[in-house]
Amino acid sequence: MRRRDFLRSTAATALAASGGLAAPHVARGAESRVLRFIPQANLANLDPIWTTLYVVRNASVLFWDTLYGVDSTLTPRPQMCEGHEVSPDGLTWTFRLRPGLRWHDNQPVLARDCAASLERWMVRDNMGQMVKARLAEIAPVDDRSFRMRLTKPFPKLLYALGKVGTPCAFMMPERLARTDPFKQVSEYVGSGPFRFRRDEWVPGAQAVFERFDGYAPRQERPDWLAGGKAVNFDRVEWRIIPDAATAAAALQNGEVDWWETANADLAPVLRGNEDVRVDIADPLGNIGDLRMNHLYPPFNDQRVRLAALIATNQPEYMQAVAGNDPALWQASASFFTPGTALYTEYGGENLKRHDLAAARRLVEEAGHKGTKVVMIIGTDVPIVKAQGDVTADMLNKIGLNVDYVATDWGTVGARRAQKKPPAEGGWNIFHTWHAGVDCVNPGAQPAYYTTGDKAWFGWPKSDVVQSKIDAWFDAPTLEAEKAAVRELNKASMDFVTFVPTGFFKGYQAWRGALSGVVKAPFPVVWGVEKKA
Amino acid sequence: MLGYVTRRVAATIPVMLFVAFFVFSLLYLAPGDPAAIIAGDQASPADIARIRASLGLDRPFLVRFGDWLWHVLHGDLGASIFTNLPVSQMIGQRVEPTLSLMLLTTLIAVLVAVPLGVLAAWRQGSLIDRAVMVLAVLGFSVPVFVVGYLLAYLFALKLGWLPVQGFTPISRGLWPFLRTLILPSVALGLIYIALIARITRAAMLEVLSQDYVRTARAKGVGARDVLFVHALKNAAVPIATVIGNGVALLIGGAVVTETVFAIPGLGRLTVDAILRRDYPVIQGVVLLFSVAYVLVNLLVDLLYTVFDPRIRY
Amino acid sequence: MSTTAAPLPDILPPRVRRGRIGGFVRRHPTIVAGGVLIALMAVIAVAAPVLTQYDPTAIAPSQRIRDPSATHWFGTDMLGRDIYARTIYGARISLLVGFSVALLASAAGTLIGVVSGFVRVLDGIIMRVMDGMMSVPPILLAIALMALTRASVQNVIIAISVTEFPRVARLVRGVVLSLREQPYVEAALAAGTRLPIIIWRHIIPNTLAAVMVQATFICASAMITEAILSFIGAGTPPTVPSWGNIMAEGRALWQIKPFIVFFPAVFLSVTVLAVNLLGDGLRDALDPRLAKRL
Repeated sequence: MRRRDFLRSTAATALAASGGLAAPHVARGAESRVLRFIPQANLANLDPIWTTLYVVRNASVLFWDTLYGVDSTLTPRPQMCEGHEVSPDGLTWTFRLRPGLRWHDNQPVLARDCAASLERWMVRDNMGQMVKARLAEIAPVDDRSFRMRLTKPFPKLLYALGKVGTPCAFMMPERLARTDPFKQVSEYVGSGPFRFRRDEWVPGAQAVFERFDGYAPRQERPDWLAGGKAVNFDRVEWRIIPDAATAAAALQNGEVDWWETANADLAPVLRGNEDVRVDIADPLGNIGDLRMNHLYPPFNDQRVRLAALIATNQPEYMQAVAGNDPALWQASASFFTPGTALYTEYGGENLKRHDLAAARRLVEEAGHKGTKVVMIIGTDVPIVKAQGDVTADMLNKIGLNVDYVATDWGTVGARRAQKKPPAEGGWNIFHTWHAGVDCVNPGAQPAYYTTGDKAWFGWPKSDVVQSKIDAWFDAPTLEAEKAAVRELNKASMDFVTFVPTGFFKGYQAWRGALSGVVKAPFPVVWGVEKKA
Repeated sequence: MLGYVTRRVAATIPVMLFVAFFVFSLLYLAPGDPAAIIAGDQASPADIARIRASLGLDRPFLVRFGDWLWHVLHGDLGASIFTNLPVSQMIGQRVEPTLSLMLLTTLIAVLVAVPLGVLAAWRQGSLIDRAVMVLAVLGFSVPVFVVGYLLAYLFALKLGWLPVQGFTPISRGLWPFLRTLILPSVALGLIYIALIARITRAAMLEVLSQDYVRTARAKGVGARDVLFVHALKNAAVPIATVIGNGVALLIGGAVVTETVFAIPGLGRLTVDAILRRDYPVIQGVVLLFSVAYVLVNLLVDLLYTVFDPRIRY
Repeated sequence: MSTTAAPLPDILPPRVRRGRIGGFVRRHPTIVAGGVLIALMAVIAVAAPVLTQYDPTAIAPSQRIRDPSATHWFGTDMLGRDIYARTIYGARISLLVGFSVALLASAAGTLIGVVSGFVRVLDGIIMRVMDGMMSVPPILLAIALMALTRASVQNVIIAISVTEFPRVARLVRGVVLSLREQPYVEAALAAGTRLPIIIWRHIIPNTLAAVMVQATFICASAMITEAILSFIGAGTPPTVPSWGNIMAEGRALWQIKPFIVFFPAVFLSVTVLAVNLLGDGLRDALDPRLAKRL
């Protein structure tokens, strides 16, 4: 260690000390201006294009800003943009920024910053890639406007720019936006309502955000990513507490104000504390995923995939994942998010059967009785582990022979990308889940795609399913979209792209002193207030 | 003396080299991939491969090791794959909590264990002796996280006397600092108390049977003086050795204790880094631990001369 | 937490009265107490299928987190599995890990210690490597080793053995070095007896006592290390009911359902206690002076 580095880091620690790791000492009643928050995970970095983890997105909404932002009806509303014009043929879009936008280094936000940011984002985002595919040109017109010319209309452009799913189209200064999308940016200069106190950052322990005085919120009422992001805190302190029991105790003791992912089994205890409130965190919830490798036996055989689908007992999965609280889960014979416009259970009858005998017969018929199934499970992620435990039990019951490879999520991430045969370091099954906000339509969800080699892990190949996805993209009206998604749901169920293991939500919990906490796919800090 | 220290320090260099190489090879062979974590759940295999390449993770093993070693020799431990922060800074941020925890634990353990051990030896075979020894075996048999949760349940949740989690730097006052550290230190200290009490008792028994102690007692030197002045001083060498050897034990325990009490220390940094495959961080911390272990044991060796002037280097 | 099998000095007064009459029990109370407890655990482990009707891995999410009752003596866990069944089956894993590690680490350590003690050229290198391995905190080394491979009982055993054997190697090397100087060994060497025979006849038997004592402490420490590894999530796979796994899965709920952690914790503590008692007793019985060298 270089001495100077050491001195600097010691100084940083001292600064962190004065800032407050567990501090009931902020002077002059400023306590109500500090929000102490337990996030879902450790903040790895603040480059939301490079790292698409949800936790990075959640920090990024404090720090970076977006041109458009969806509200709680998932309608995109202008945020940094004042407005836009579309040519009658739908091919030329002109965006105009609202005046007075500033970066955290007090430089003005320019149109060319935004154009460069969109170009970086397009490379990494699924919808962005679709935009890129039909993009002829993106260029600044003046300091406050830029233009996009498309070769084919893309009616869902504003949704793409304002969506909550990762990676969001966050705006960065041009010099950062020119960074290779596969490399991390070298500094953090955002334009969101909060600045990042890099000097107080202790990865794995705390991250501190400080109100940015130069931020001018819009006048509208705040609603998710839309409206005026007016904040009532001078500091937002993220405390990373990985242990659920410790986090619950810290909230009960008043050491923190807000816990993003309150453990469902601990909810009764938290509710028993009169100073603590508990409610659903994200109304759009999550969909569990039993993902199979379509390249190798036994799951290259549609009959065996169907057997897994028929054997699936969603309530069992959901209780293992989300607990006994019926408010937190529901069985859902669908690939889409319940409660949203395009939701359908059409064609999902097999997923409601839970017929082990029929499943066992299908496995036998396919000649796979006793076939070994390599299941890779990241046991450090509770939702993944719970699904894996249920799947192991289920597949063994229908005559397959599960080899439960217990490892960590980092290893699963690497191994699931392997197309090798399961016995040579590949795999047959892994588990994950998809945020409901990414499953409201087929646009942003790569797990639905069945493009074979180019598809997401598991590499399903079906022209039928893929044609239904294309039908949605071309659907001109909501009715047509609904019809396309119905067909897609049925085709995906018949083909068994993957097995949805059910729909579940999570709780968040906060101290009674906070008001204005809302349900959203990410913790919404604007609009929240803390009583002194 | 100085020559001895120089020789001892020089002798540790090949040890450090071995440790560095050993850990580097382990991580190289480990199957995880930080690029896959960075890319996120929805990323495509091609994206992951590009991130891997941009991180330089696709270079051959020896190139990576040589590169790392070259930078270490120039005082640069590299930067974390995930946060891009210098490893030295990340370690610097974590040193205070872990060091505080270890020092306080050692302090508590010595303050409790040495008198217990002396007492047990003095009243050998008595009820006190038996009780101390039962406590000592128990201390060795209950896992630290069980003790930790028990203490947190009782003193933090039920009685509300102490906080459940976190760490307050000493710069914010002694009491706030101690408040957060008491429970973890006691939890971690139990095994250490057991260890030191046993060695103290054994060493004291040995010393107490020596002629000069008998002589001192015969000459009418008070019991307290015999025990704490004459005998304990001579029993100090094995006690110091155990404390030195226990450093590795303590570091291991700190990993678990930091997890239970959410203390942002080096132990948690290491476990997190291993789970995420943040190679530069793992390398840096393990190197630091090895150096600490070697230095503490060197210090203990040097302390021998203080306790026992007969030992010369 | 004992991860190092640190040198344990005498637990009971070394001057236990060795009466001519009086049985083994009176002379070695700790050996008997430890031995009986271990035997009891072994019986529980072997007879587990008779002692419970429940399959320790059968899940029933609708029955999750039930308090202890007549049907589920120790309650059920997050997946509705019977904790009593899991706990008694867990004895198998703990004992298997403890004894396997003790055996493996002692064998490897003895081999390396003997080589180091006799082959002077290698001694320096071997001891530096052993120093290096001992300077890495054992828990961290074990976690790193587990990251190398998939979670399985076998890999846990290997990982813990790797962290434990250098201490045995050091101990054996020390004993070998002092034995070499013994007149009867020198005489045998002078008489042209072949080295392997000397090692087999004179060295191994004389190191056995020290290694045996050390092995019991390794056994105890391995059981705790296994629990800690599983607790951190780097241990035995979740499909295997081990005490560490039960505690790891129950720890999120320790506030409201402390029994999930409590039962395996008691079993683990009692078992480790038994092994430690046995080790103490063995040391007193075999050679109280040996302890000083540990």
